[in-house]
Amino acid sequence: MGLEYKFVLWNRYKKKYDLVIAGFSIIFLLLFAGITLIVNRETTVETLVIRGFGILAVVMLHLILVIGPLCRLQPKFLPILYNRRHLGVSMFLAALVHGGFSIFQFHALGDTFPIYSIFTSNLDYFSLSNFPFQVLGFFALLILFSMAATSHDFFLANLSAVTWKRLHMMVYVAYVLILLHVVLGAFQQETSLFTIIVLGLGFVLVVLLHLLSARQELRADKIQSVETEGWFRVCEVDEIEDDRAKIFTLNKERVAIFKYENKLSAIHNVCKHQGGPLGEGKIIDGCITCPWHGYQYLPKNGQSPPPYTEKVATYDLKLVGSTVFIDPNAHAEGTEVEPLIITK
Amino acid sequence: MKKQDEFFVPYISESLGSKTKKAIRRLVWTILFAIIVIAGVFAFTQKPFKNGSFELTSETRLTGVFHENPYPMLRVKVADDSYKNILLLGFGKSSVNPYLAVIRKDFETLAGKELAIEGNLIYYNGKTLVQITSEEKIKVMGNSDPNILPKKEKVGKVTLTGEIIDPKCYFGVMKPGYGKIHRSCAVRCISGGIPPVLAATDSNHNLHYYLITDMVGGAIHESILPYVGKPAEITGIVETYEDWQFLRINVEDIRETGEASLIY
Ligand code: HEM
Ligand code: FES
Repeated sequence: MGLEYKFVLWNRYKKKYDLVIAGFSIIFLLLFAGITLIVNRETTVETLVIRGFGILAVVMLHLILVIGPLCRLQPKFLPILYNRRHLGVSMFLAALVHGGFSIFQFHALGDTFPIYSIFTSNLDYFSLSNFPFQVLGFFALLILFSMAATSHDFFLANLSAVTWKRLHMMVYVAYVLILLHVVLGAFQQETSLFTIIVLGLGFVLVVLLHLLSARQELRADKIQSVETEGWFRVCEVDEIEDDRAKIFTLNKERVAIFKYENKLSAIHNVCKHQGGPLGEGKIIDGCITCPWHGYQYLPKNGQSPPPYTEKVATYDLKLVGSTVFIDPNAHAEGTEVEPLIITK
Repeated sequence: MKKQDEFFVPYISESLGSKTKKAIRRLVWTILFAIIVIAGVFAFTQKPFKNGSFELTSETRLTGVFHENPYPMLRVKVADDSYKNILLLGFGKSSVNPYLAVIRKDFETLAGKELAIEGNLIYYNGKTLVQITSEEKIKVMGNSDPNILPKKEKVGKVTLTGEIIDPKCYFGVMKPGYGKIHRSCAVRCISGGIPPVLAATDSNHNLHYYLITDMVGGAIHESILPYVGKPAEITGIVETYEDWQFLRINVEDIRETGEASLIY
């Protein structure tokens, strides 16, 4: 589906998705500003903006971090994952407003270049309570920027999936930086048990969901395959649902074995787009369809149907009675393998 | 075997099944609820802001006698025999001195002269400051006698606890204008030429403000920066000048207390 980036699909799901993001952001900002203006009227517009957008960005970041594991645990949430990048870009924009206003408010119109001032106005780098917390926010913002800037499929196609994935794993580094930014910064002065609890619950939720989904994946990995003469026994034919797959780990690689039209085919489990789990996808119109964004591959050769050019590795299968065996040696990506007819 | 059969594909219309829709709707409502709670918690738990004022959009014209001890001030008559000394500040995080330097080119000395200035007022807790945005806002009105100006009166040596703030933000421009959150800005302001002020609380929780000078009464900026925005204990010599107090100190005599900021 490499051609897709040339015409971003603005279908109605995306529009609805973006409307919900925008609507919820506005609700949040209005509520925060409204309550503050009622109970704490002496605030300034700058402080309202800085705090409102800072908290909004953190809320969005939590959402982004939990969507992945949430979808592993409950595939019904997948439609939210599908447009996660819009949430990511929105989060960056909110963080940029927060950081930009802060840089202007605290560092501009002075005797030093504002960015240089972030690093030098507070030099207590060896103190915890006095730590220059803005530096942490600044690095987090840089990470978020590099992710937002490369979120377009154009970069996916040109950066190689591995580099892109590595870049986007930096979101966890950004998350830790931001947690420290808040705990060593605002929380040192605006100390409240309630906000600490909210942020703490968010952290627990992120960690817990990641652990749960990791446990589920580990369990899948534990399905032991027994080797006989170069073939691994994987499962019984009946264990695979029609038009669906089962995922197995062979030589540390995940492989998806699909059953469709009374046939079996095996391909490498990792989608070429953003590494989605193909084995959690479905056969639609004769194509393996990725659960994340719908990229498609033909089961017989692991190739995306023309005009697209993505290819994944394929594997040889054999049936002994009703037991499926696989040869763990992958064929080159896009190699045609005759689908195995299921004989009853 | 088709137990999980709904499968959403973004470009296939109608692929969003009813069970999936229901699950997502529930999730979206949960998120909305969380957003409302979070907005409430963060809004309600903010510390109260001080009622300092900064008249950003309106300028006030003031007339008074200029003096510099060492920080530029305008002594404005507010009633018979009652004067207020208004601290003069530049634009943004800077001193008024560059503008005064331009005026000084035409006059030998400014001390004791009557000036009319226009600027944005900053005021809180009985103190007034004014931001001047260019030398054109300063007019020399006439000659008056420097001898009519009062002198600083020495009170004595004391030890005070409080926080070194930049008065521009503290008295109205920013909220909060003190403490950890604001520290970088206070450092920039004082480094840029805004006079450092000690905001100290006495045993009755009353706040007192002291313009900080060195032991010979000269301005301090750079050397005090490491102590700005942190609770500190300072020993120095207190002087009064009508409605302001001054504190002569050795920067080495500042001791960080390591406690949380007390000047709310
Ligand atoms: C250049 C980068 C940044 C700077 C200079 C900066 C500066 C600040 C400052 C000065 C505060 C205290 C504000 C106050 O309470 O009045 C603050 C708080 C906060 N920041 Fe940042 N920040 C930056 C980046 C970020 C990023 C990237 C995020 C999250 C995505 C973030 C999230 C927060 C949050 C949640 C708070 C606490 C809530 C609040 O008081 O606003 N910040 N930041
Ligand atoms: S990861 Fe995007 S379609 Fe597979």
